[in-house]
Formats: sequence, structure tokens, C-alpha cells
Amino acid sequence: MSKFRVARRTVQILVVVFMFLMPVVARYQNYVAAREIDRVLDRWSGTAAGGVLSAVDSTVRLLPGAEKERAGRVQRDRAQVLEYVQAARGGPWSATVGPVSMTDPLGAAESIVASRALPWVLLASLVVPLVATVALGRVFCSWICPMGFLLELTDKLRAVVRFLEIRPRDLKPSRATKYGVLLAGLILAAVLSVPVLGYIYPPAIVGREAHDVVFAFFDRAEMGRFGPWAGGLSWMAALLVGIVLFEVLVSRRWWCRYVCPGGALYSLIGWARPVRVELDVDRCTQCAQCVAACPEGLNPMKNRMGLECDSCGECIASCDDDALRIGLGGPLVESFRSRSTSRPEGSA
Amino acid sequence: MSEKATVLDRREFFRVLALRSGKVGAGGGLLYGLLGLRPSSALPAGARGELGIVRPPGALEEPDFLARCIRCTECADACEAQCILLFGPEAGDLHGTPYIVPSEKGCTLCLACGPACPSGALTPLEARDEPRMGVAVVDERLCVSHNGTGVCGACHTACPLRNRAITQDFRNAPHVVPEECTGCGLCEELCIVRDRRAIRVVTDRRPAREGAT
Repeated sequence: MSKFRVARRTVQILVVVFMFLMPVVARYQNYVAAREIDRVLDRWSGTAAGGVLSAVDSTVRLLPGAEKERAGRVQRDRAQVLEYVQAARGGPWSATVGPVSMTDPLGAAESIVASRALPWVLLASLVVPLVATVALGRVFCSWICPMGFLLELTDKLRAVVRFLEIRPRDLKPSRATKYGVLLAGLILAAVLSVPVLGYIYPPAIVGREAHDVVFAFFDRAEMGRFGPWAGGLSWMAALLVGIVLFEVLVSRRWWCRYVCPGGALYSLIGWARPVRVELDVDRCTQCAQCVAACPEGLNPMKNRMGLECDSCGECIASCDDDALRIGLGGPLVESFRSRSTSRPEGSA
Repeated sequence: MSEKATVLDRREFFRVLALRSGKVGAGGGLLYGLLGLRPSSALPAGARGELGIVRPPGALEEPDFLARCIRCTECADACEAQCILLFGPEAGDLHGTPYIVPSEKGCTLCLACGPACPSGALTPLEARDEPRMGVAVVDERLCVSHNGTGVCGACHTACPLRNRAITQDFRNAPHVVPEECTGCGLCEELCIVRDRRAIRVVTDRRPAREGAT
């Protein structure tokens, strides 16, 4: 496994952990703020909910200044602990880590067209996602998106399905579909004054469902029920299951390739990304392993990744000839290079 | 040969079945969610009825709020008192937006939600007397101090703006000063009349479901 993929998997897993951890930390914060935490930990000791809470508690207490000594006893510095746990929140749709607020450009775009307003807070939370996307392209899809992660894993189920002698189909509608979905969604949002795309955008759904599941888990614990299944999923989770089933049986990575409005927006924002997968034509032996590896169904051999490539690096890992690498390229870099070498004697 | 034909037929049958049921399910689900075609009884008690939705402190007017809010859960995560709840997909276009059920848990005015909001749907507020989430209204027939069946004063004690937003007279009978009331609902939460609170927060927002009680 290439280092690139190890790094990517690590980030993807951390995002999933973050997504489930943030609501847990929010509940921990509630108990600390209400001065209930010790009683709750005591009452829930030996249960899953108590275990999760005490793990968070012990971790937070390791941070500098989170404990103080009072009357010969070491206890939490309540104000400091609250400050720590309030430093991060959110999920893949919109998150805050310390002073950095990050919102999905799709959510921001919807909010802007639906309300016809451009608040500063929204612009501030767009800085990191926009800069990252303009420079690196559609990396949200390959590094952050929990649904992309899930679909990468379920993609492997196609082999299982084939083993069961069921031939999975591979429908290939037009890639332009997702730009249509994006446009239609934005128009609908403007007409209804409701940001509707967030209701069908998987990272947003996953984040909300994770939040609800964790909150339901603690709600049940508060009622004295510590069963293994906490519930809290809404029927939106069925939408995710539907996307996965469709992907496994009917159309490979269909959501990311053909439908996802968020991916479409990221593609558009990152069209001129200077950091991209580059092909060394002299080294390429046209073995087409990268074509088979590409989750987006692109053809790295032709070096025309264009809008769609999310720089996941699977083609680089699959290449035996070192012909693919992350490098500088794209329209902006090309025009800069051609300008600096356009003198008559300068030949590339 | 005939065997193969049956296999194909069955496959075709399942394919059509899957496609049809998928379409009907997805379309129905979307309609169900967007239009909110569902019984209202599953909504939490305080979120239905004629009182109107209580939004977190600093929320914009309802149409603006619904347009700006990106349904991200950040305000609920930031809430210290855990009073901010989020509508489920059953609530139609309210899905994912934050609300408060004062009879379950009133807002403690920690004001952490305003700065947490990335979309500007919640305005950050500085002072605890700034929010205007609604106005508490006393039902003098239900209130024990008003109707003469007891002496209470719980709402007055609970009020963060004691003697400003809620004043008392004979037998601790509460009187709300609407201009001062933040609509935090701590009075409603603490009201000793439990079935239907004698003091309730009323807002000018629409109820969660039209016609529901």
C-alpha cells in the first residue's frame, strides 16, 4: 500500500471518528456545564455510555490546566474544561476546529441563493474549503467525505457479488448529470427559499444521522436503558443504504461520478487546480492499470483528468512504471509556463 | 434453453421490481419529507400546537432563518444546556433546523449557539437580556397563585431577569413584562402545573405543523 493511500485512509478514518466524537463531546459538555458529570459517570459506570463519557473525561483531563487542586482534592477546572470541549464541533457538512470554521461550499451556495444574503460569518467559514479546493481540486471527495469513504469500501463488495454469480451491472450515465443536479438544486433552493440540496447530499445526511444516533444513545442512557442498539436513525439513512446498494449492484461509484451536487461544485471550483495528478508520457507503457484503478472512472493514461479527478492517488499507486505522480499542472500553470518560455530561443 | 429463459425472466422480474420499488420509495420518501405528509402526533409536545416554534437566541425572522440555516448541527453541539433540539426529516422543510421545547428544557442563555452558527441564521448576542425568542404568557386560570389554589412563585425564581421580566404581587402571582422577556422558557420548564404549563412561551413563528394541537 502506498504512503499516499495510508495518509488518505488515516484522514478518512479520523473524519469518521471526529463526526461521532463531536456529539459525544457536546453531551459531555452538557453534563460538565450542569455540574452533573461526576454523578452521571458514577451512575453509568460499567455501561457503554458511561465508558464513552469517562474516556472523553480522562482525555480532557490530560490537557494542560484542565485539573486543579482544591481542598486537597484534584478536580476538573470547570471553566477550562468547558473552554476545551467548546473548541471543536460539527461534522463533514460544517465544522469548527479551534478558531477555524469550515462550511461545505454547497451549503454556503445554497444558503446564499436561498436567502439572497452574504453574511461575513459564512464567507469566513468558506476560506479554508475554497483555498484548499482551488489549489488541490476536489480533494474533499477523496479525503474528507464519509460517503466517499463508505463507497470506496463497498466498491470492494462488487467482487463479493460477482463471487455469488450475480453480474453487477455498470450503468454509465453522463457525468454532466451532476452539474444539472447542482443547477436544479440551486434554482429550487432559490425558488423555495429552503436549502434543499443538503437533504440529499450524503455527507450532510451522514453528519446529521451520526449526531442523532449519538444523542439518542445518551438520551436512552438517561432513561436508564443501556441496550446495544441506541436507535436515532431516520429514514434518511435508508437513502444512504439505497445509494450503496445501487452502487454495488447497478452502477459503479454512480453517486460520486454522476449525481453528487457537492462533487459537481467542488469540481467546478477546482477546475484550474495547480496541484494535480500528472502523467509522464515517456514512462507510460499504456498498461491501463490506472484506468482500472480510478474510482472516478477516468483515464489517467490520456492525462485528461480535467474537472472530475479528486486526486485520490489510486492511479499513482496502481502504476508500475512510475509514470504518474502528483505535480504542478493545469491551465493556470500551463499558461504561466508558456508565458515564461515563449521567447523564440526558449524551447521546452 | 427454456431453463435459461426462466432465469432471465426472473432476473428481469427482479430488475423491474427493484427499479419500480426504488423509484416509488425514493419519490415517496422525498415527497414525504419535503411536504411533511405525516401524522403530527410524533412531534414533541412543545413543538406543536398554537405556540409557535421557539428558535435559539438570535435567530432571524422565520423565512430568513429557514433560508439561511444550512441544517448543520453546530448550534446543538455548542449548546451548554442541551436545550437545542433538531427537527427530524418528518418535519418537512424544518428538517435539521434547531428548536427549543421550553417545557422540556428551557434556554439558559449561555449564548454559545450564536457564535457557533456558520451561516448567520443565528446572530451572535452579547448580553443575556438581548434574546427575543418569544414571550412568556401566564394562564391565570391555571396558575395556582392567580387562581387562589396555592402560593408558588417558581417562575419568578427561575427567571434569569427576575423582577425585570417577571414581577410578583399578592400570593406570588407572576406578571410578565413582555418588553423585557427573552422567551428563554425557564419559567415554563419550572412551572409546577405539569400537564399544561400555566406559563408558556408564545412566539410569532409558525407552529411546527399547521392545524396540529
